[in-house]
Amino acid sequence: MRYALFTGCVAKGAARELYSSTIKMAESLDISLDEMTSAACCGAGVISEENEVLSDSVNARTFAIAEDKGLDIMNICGTCHGVMKKAEHSLKKDNNLMDEVNKVLKSGGYRYRGRVKIKHLLNILVEDYGLDKIKEKVTKSLRGLKIAPFYGCYIIRPSELSDLNDPDNPTAIEDLITALGGEPVDYEGKLKCCGFPYVMMNKEGALTMAGKHLSQAKEKGADCVVTPCPLCHLNLDPYQPEIDKIIGKRLKLPILHLPQLVGLALGIKPKVLGLKKHIIRAKIFR
Amino acid sequence: MIFSIQRFNPEKDTSPYFQDYEFEIPKSATLLDCMNLIKWTQDGTLTHRMSCRSAICGSCAVKVNGHTLLACKTQASKVIKDGKVKIEPMGNMEIIKDLVVDFGQFWEKIERIKPWLVPDESEKPEKERYQSIDDFRKIDAGSTCIMCASCYSDCCSLDVDKGFLGPTSLAKAQRFIHDSRDRERLSRTGEISDKGGIWDCTHCGECSERCPTEAKPLERITSLRRTAIALGITNNIGARHVKAFVDSIAHSGRLNENILPIRSMGLFNISGLMSLIPIGIRMMMRRKNPPIIHKPIDEAEDVRRIFRKLRKG
Amino acid sequence: MLQHDVVIVGSGLAGMSAALEICGQLDVAIISKVYPTRSHSGAAQGGIAASLGNSEPDSQEEHMYDTVKGSDFLGDQDAIEMFTRDAPEIIYQLEHMGCVFSRTGEGKIAQRAFGGHSHPRACYAADRTGHAILHVLYEQVMKQGKRISIYPEWYLMSLIIRDNVCRGIVIYDIRSGNFEVIRAKGVIFATGGYGRAYRITSNAFANTGDGIIAAFNAGVPLEDMEFVQFHPTGLFGQGILVSEAARGEGGYLINGKGERFMEKYAPAKMELAPRDIVSRSEQREIDEGRGIDGKDYIYLDLRHLGKEKIMERLPQVRQLGIDFIGMDCITDPLPIQPTAHYSMGGIPTDKDGHVIIDDKGTQLTGFFAAGECACVSVHGANRLGTNSLLDAVVFGKRTGIAALKFAKGPRLSDMKEDEVLAPVKERISAVFSSPGTESINDIRDELKENMMSNCGVFREKEGLNKGLEKVKELRERYKNGKITDKSKLFNNELIEVLELGHMLEFSEIIFKGAIAREESRGAHSRTDFPKRDDRNWLKHTLAYLTEDGIELKYKPVTITKYQPEERKY
Repeated sequence: MRYALFTGCVAKGAARELYSSTIKMAESLDISLDEMTSAACCGAGVISEENEVLSDSVNARTFAIAEDKGLDIMNICGTCHGVMKKAEHSLKKDNNLMDEVNKVLKSGGYRYRGRVKIKHLLNILVEDYGLDKIKEKVTKSLRGLKIAPFYGCYIIRPSELSDLNDPDNPTAIEDLITALGGEPVDYEGKLKCCGFPYVMMNKEGALTMAGKHLSQAKEKGADCVVTPCPLCHLNLDPYQPEIDKIIGKRLKLPILHLPQLVGLALGIKPKVLGLKKHIIRAKIFR
Repeated sequence: MIFSIQRFNPEKDTSPYFQDYEFEIPKSATLLDCMNLIKWTQDGTLTHRMSCRSAICGSCAVKVNGHTLLACKTQASKVIKDGKVKIEPMGNMEIIKDLVVDFGQFWEKIERIKPWLVPDESEKPEKERYQSIDDFRKIDAGSTCIMCASCYSDCCSLDVDKGFLGPTSLAKAQRFIHDSRDRERLSRTGEISDKGGIWDCTHCGECSERCPTEAKPLERITSLRRTAIALGITNNIGARHVKAFVDSIAHSGRLNENILPIRSMGLFNISGLMSLIPIGIRMMMRRKNPPIIHKPIDEAEDVRRIFRKLRKG
Repeated sequence: MLQHDVVIVGSGLAGMSAALEICGQLDVAIISKVYPTRSHSGAAQGGIAASLGNSEPDSQEEHMYDTVKGSDFLGDQDAIEMFTRDAPEIIYQLEHMGCVFSRTGEGKIAQRAFGGHSHPRACYAADRTGHAILHVLYEQVMKQGKRISIYPEWYLMSLIIRDNVCRGIVIYDIRSGNFEVIRAKGVIFATGGYGRAYRITSNAFANTGDGIIAAFNAGVPLEDMEFVQFHPTGLFGQGILVSEAARGEGGYLINGKGERFMEKYAPAKMELAPRDIVSRSEQREIDEGRGIDGKDYIYLDLRHLGKEKIMERLPQVRQLGIDFIGMDCITDPLPIQPTAHYSMGGIPTDKDGHVIIDDKGTQLTGFFAAGECACVSVHGANRLGTNSLLDAVVFGKRTGIAALKFAKGPRLSDMKEDEVLAPVKERISAVFSSPGTESINDIRDELKENMMSNCGVFREKEGLNKGLEKVKELRERYKNGKITDKSKLFNNELIEVLELGHMLEFSEIIFKGAIAREESRGAHSRTDFPKRDDRNWLKHTLAYLTEDGIELKYKPVTITKYQPEERKY
């Protein structure tokens, strides 16, 4: 198995542990990765708020890079994934846009043909790799650990572009947690917005939102949260001390990236997975 | 099948509770058909709103298994999970009785955006004003809203901040701002760029997901953000954030997470900048801060070229 | 006791159009059993008629003639002339308010073909024209702010008439369960139609004829109640409307043998013949065993229009099929059947909405009616598609102007609150203290079935008499109806009981009128009297409430330009 890895900006910035844990986990699962070092930021839905064609062009360029490699794309960020799916949808349904964008890409030597498949690590693990095979690879079962999934908006909405079977009631992360030996925690907030996109505009709102979901998870007995989107992680982990203040209690809920959780079950050391880099460190992973 | 319906009559109940009704779903019955059959054959006290039963009047929105939808346009068999369906009143509004909620604040927020056309009064056309098919298309989708409040009910931003105008009002605003016949585009866009307006949406996508028409509020809000930036209404954190973000990608192909918050807050926004300090320190302590030296992607020049070519202004 | 200069009951197109004429000059209020944007005007899909001539030459005269012919010559021609003359101006006003209309390539308001109209005359907003107009009017109402008082989710209990002068109304706050008396100089009813009494109907739950029955019980006659239009394309099962626009855009009607059967009935106009004719043709095919698989429906086939045209012009039609019966009209023909749709009859009025109580043109001082609840009559025995939205806006506006003019004059009359509240409270307590031996739901179901089978597309003496007896039986059983919700707060079970009472009352009037009218005209089709009989029946029915029950009288039809002739399409 080989994929064109799109890291996204955050995995190279404020959540480098996502990048390093992805690499370690992939090695351990014999998934080979060809990192697209020349791909630009997906735009995070922000570039399109200034200029839609620009956003589509930048993503089409990324798609073309992967097509040139002859590989499908692996996203490790839920937001990047959602934004790319949206760009793919716009480009594929509108031939004029496709032509316009390809004209722009031409001078850089790229052309998007609409062939590449865009996948998120979550789907790669659950579908391409397969849960049965993952089970076989587990050396340090997460038995006894109650884990709350936090999906993140971009991986489930809009539902018609989501890769998950039933985006209003997805089970992919839960299935993965179970395969790793852990126990998934069900709570209302797992499909809701983390608040990160507007933490700069409305910090209290964003952190109240996060606090609500995390409290629910905690009440249901969660030992930690796992998310396939590093932007959710950025709101739920680094801001957690401030979230605590808003909701008036100490949550102490570690927020794991998806490959970190898988890595733990594969027997990779917490430190190697970058768990020490989180603001909320947990004793359970020492 | 079990219909688990939230009940609450403040005349006698202290708090809402769920009541289960067991019930065989008739062939091709909608959820509304089922709710009515329960009311008419099992329990006349069950209270919900309805009128047209053809998805145009907007009366019968309820929360079903946690998500808001129109009961009249939903096949009951599709929402049954393991023999059961949970029905609750809409969110973000006070309950009056059972599934009936108070729309007072909802309408007040609609009225706040001045929801009527302000044409150029100096021209008094004898017949209709002309509008091109392209211009009609800009307002067509937004104008299909039926005010059912499904989006309002599931909006995550409203859930934590009642000051937010909400997706319905903003979609309604778009219908005027992008109307070729309206003369107040600039002032309208200015008003919805303030606190509680377009930049207080997290673009979580719930509104468009729940919308039973083509109004799809998130798409309207996104297009309003584009309009605000194009009109130069950028003296707010939201618009500055977009500018800084795009500038950053235009420069190196990759987001500079160190610069973005500072530029978003605005260089003269002292309190805003101060608010960034605790998290900055916290992340630095864990070496979680983005690298100080921002490294561009490979082939950054090609990306710069694309930005130069497509970015206007 | 509350007071307003003018109080309007009903917040659809007619009610809001009237309010907009009055506000700013006099104190006006709108009462509605639903929020204004929930009104059933919003469900009208296909268009609003006016001879704008935007896609081919057209004229007011032709619009008038088409309407007269469509009415099977029962329409009053002076009113129709004025109605069609006001039409273009009304459309332009709606456009100036900001109504979202579909456009031609030049940017004019687009117009399309509709049944019974000789030119493409239906101005439209995709297939949600009523919605577009309802919302633009509500926008204008919001713009007026406090100059229009709105009572949303208040229910009309009674109309107060003393000494042949209208004094006000009694209303019930659904939310709180409290009564209020509103004194007013002028009262306008814009309460909509009465199609809800049929099992297969396109009508909203709200269309239970509350206004017409309040008027009837206050001594006002009702006109032409036997004329109930069946729309040819109700979605199989419940009768949810598939817009006539589907045929306007070129849809075919197909029977069980795969034939476009309209060839036999209206060879020139085919599917675009007027609604009464198409509904009868469908019913005949079904009755004679040529429904799909011999069943009680036929097909509306849109597949040949292609995906693009369907998506552009008929998106809502497509969505209805998908949501309500799980069929996509791009790939499947839609099963349809005639569905009770429009009430031609109602409260008799003149061209300015004054309520007229006899054959001599006597006005009931201070009482007005407009829209579907009124009978001017511009639709006569059969309404043409797209004339109903026009009716609501034209007569809503004219009635508003007339009520404004009237209400500037007199003073508010004195009233003893207890006296007008007493009968209303008595009625409610009768409901609550009923022995409760009869199921309201059973009575309602039996009524709907009875209307369908004995007073539907085709009627004949025996069935009508049987049907009338059934209604009388149901009215007796209704007195023992059971109510379980005894609370004051948002008791919509109580509202449903009251509504059923109204439906039973007007159903009896429909039967009476239909039994008496021994001819076939427009939507009233008697198999035992298959021909139109102008010598005996070119006249409007007026039903009065007397001590001995319902009494029928008649008044002549106003004929100006066009003498009755055979109706061929």
